[in-house]
Amino acid sequence: MSSAIPEPMPVRSAPRKLPTGDNPYLPAPARIMRIREVGPDVRLYDLRFVDPDLAERFRFRPGQFVMLSVLGVGEAPFSLPSSPTRRGTFQLGIRRAGSFTGYLFDHAVEGDSVGVRGPLGNGFPLERFEGQDVLMVAGGLGMVPLRGLLQYLIDLRDRFGRVILLYGTRSPDQVLFRDELQSVARRGDAEVLLTVDQKQDLDWAGHVGVVTELLDDIRLDVSRTYAVACGPPVFYKFVMDKLVKGHFAKDRIYLSLERRMECGVGKCGHCAVGYTFTCLHGPVFSFWDAMNLPELIYT
Amino acid sequence: MQTLRMKTELLPTFVEGLRAWGTLHAPVERRPGVFSIEPIRDVSEARPDAIRTILPMKKLLLPPRFVVVARQGDGPPVAGEDVDFSPRVYFGAHACDIHALKILDLMFLSDYPDPYYRRSRESLTVVGYGCMPDDKCFCHSLGTSNVDDGFDLFLNPLEDRFLVTVASARGDDIVRASPELFQPATRQDTLDYLARAKRRAAAATLALDVTDLPYIMELKTEDQVWQELGKKCLCCGSCSMVCPTCSCFNVADEIPCEGCAQRVRTWDACLYRDYALVAGGHNFRADRADRVRNRYYHKQEAFVREFGKPSCVGCGRCIENCPTGINVVDVFRHVRGEL
Repeated sequence: MSSAIPEPMPVRSAPRKLPTGDNPYLPAPARIMRIREVGPDVRLYDLRFVDPDLAERFRFRPGQFVMLSVLGVGEAPFSLPSSPTRRGTFQLGIRRAGSFTGYLFDHAVEGDSVGVRGPLGNGFPLERFEGQDVLMVAGGLGMVPLRGLLQYLIDLRDRFGRVILLYGTRSPDQVLFRDELQSVARRGDAEVLLTVDQKQDLDWAGHVGVVTELLDDIRLDVSRTYAVACGPPVFYKFVMDKLVKGHFAKDRIYLSLERRMECGVGKCGHCAVGYTFTCLHGPVFSFWDAMNLPELIYT
Repeated sequence: MQTLRMKTELLPTFVEGLRAWGTLHAPVERRPGVFSIEPIRDVSEARPDAIRTILPMKKLLLPPRFVVVARQGDGPPVAGEDVDFSPRVYFGAHACDIHALKILDLMFLSDYPDPYYRRSRESLTVVGYGCMPDDKCFCHSLGTSNVDDGFDLFLNPLEDRFLVTVASARGDDIVRASPELFQPATRQDTLDYLARAKRRAAAATLALDVTDLPYIMELKTEDQVWQELGKKCLCCGSCSMVCPTCSCFNVADEIPCEGCAQRVRTWDACLYRDYALVAGGHNFRADRADRVRNRYYHKQEAFVREFGKPSCVGCGRCIENCPTGINVVDVFRHVRGEL
């Protein structure tokens, strides 16, 4: 069922400030507290702002992101795989992908100081999810932002109906947060279904196949379910087709998008797609909004 | 707003007096018919009547390259110091230039205001000058051929005098500093201004029909015209560099000396190949045709949906500077099926 009231158009707001500074381009120093490998070439960084006041007052919404930088090396956007319900520190899930992340992997160690600007972007529409079932569909590294949402839903469990996670990766060794997800499932906090494209001789008792196949195994009441998808560009086409065929209204499906960003605050222009700036009006869009923007998904 | 008159022969005295409000900049003729905005020593160099400067006023606000964040040794990162925020006066802004400034204000002063833009915008005094359109101007199609605000003073040349519009308290200060130059405007001034407005309208021969354009563009997203343009456009970015509202930038880190580091912001253009390239190698607009289309959509469709008006002021700079002769007006006539 779709709401007849249109979503407000994304418009610019009155001037506002980032918690990390009045100058939105100036990063606030944060310390790397802990680094963990969570997958091949994927690490989880625990960060804490050096300014204790900022560390305590830094709030964000799952689905938002920050700009992480090392001055002299570079800066890039990263989504937050932790939940604002867990304060003091926050986490970033980072894959080695380019020169900046390469530097982080090869040179940054626990105790180092980095620069952080944020939180940026809109985040998931959590208020809408209250009292509703939430279906999360993750592909590959798309698990990173959805892990923050999962933590949030679990921490405020009574406010939501069913919490379901469908998560697909290429192979068993690429499943991020595997132990954690299994214990979430064991505790009954969420229904978790994992799949891999190929077993590759690795130990895997779960489903083999693409993530959309997992949708065949669950029964959903689409009138009270919101779907949230996050994954690589090609993943969206198949997931959206499947959800729409499964009778989801297009404005009950949300997705989070990746774009090149230099500023994160709607100025540099790089993330502009159609009339939206991914950094300002996104990165979370309803499928209805996203499908009407040229180039937004199917490229 | 207040309207005054000033005799034409007083112009040099008036312009000389503007120096009290900052370093004086104006269009200067560098080669016959080619004008650029430069600081001026002698007021006779100023050519406020020049129809268009190569680069627009944006170069006075956000330099093509500047340091955003810098660090010395182990110190904390601090805001860069190399933007000139000293007071400046620009004499010779046309109505379209001022509309472009207002578009930049919308971009840079909403949401998270850009502190570098804000400081240089606040330190810039804008003195406008009434132009006479040429065959590349299409400002009247976009409602930018006249302007009511966004400047301090505006001089409209009449036969032997100027009609002077005062649009800010700073403009009022400038007038009050030299009261002997000005007199109250008369009914005859108004009549002469209206006669000139008619001549301007008649001089504006190029027209871009913007009626319903965002919707028509949406219908034409997959039109062949974009593929054809993609073949013609070199993606050199000249149109973006000279555009008074194009303000995209790139950011890159540098290590200029041992123990120090800086983050530098440079002008960028959405037509450049790597503009939408992300780490891992995915390029969201790898095709030239996609990038050309994106530029036109951003200006005439996306900006309208976001801000209620296009981010084109009809100044004609992109027409004058395109090395392959792409004409924005013809592009949209193609889109409308008129060519």
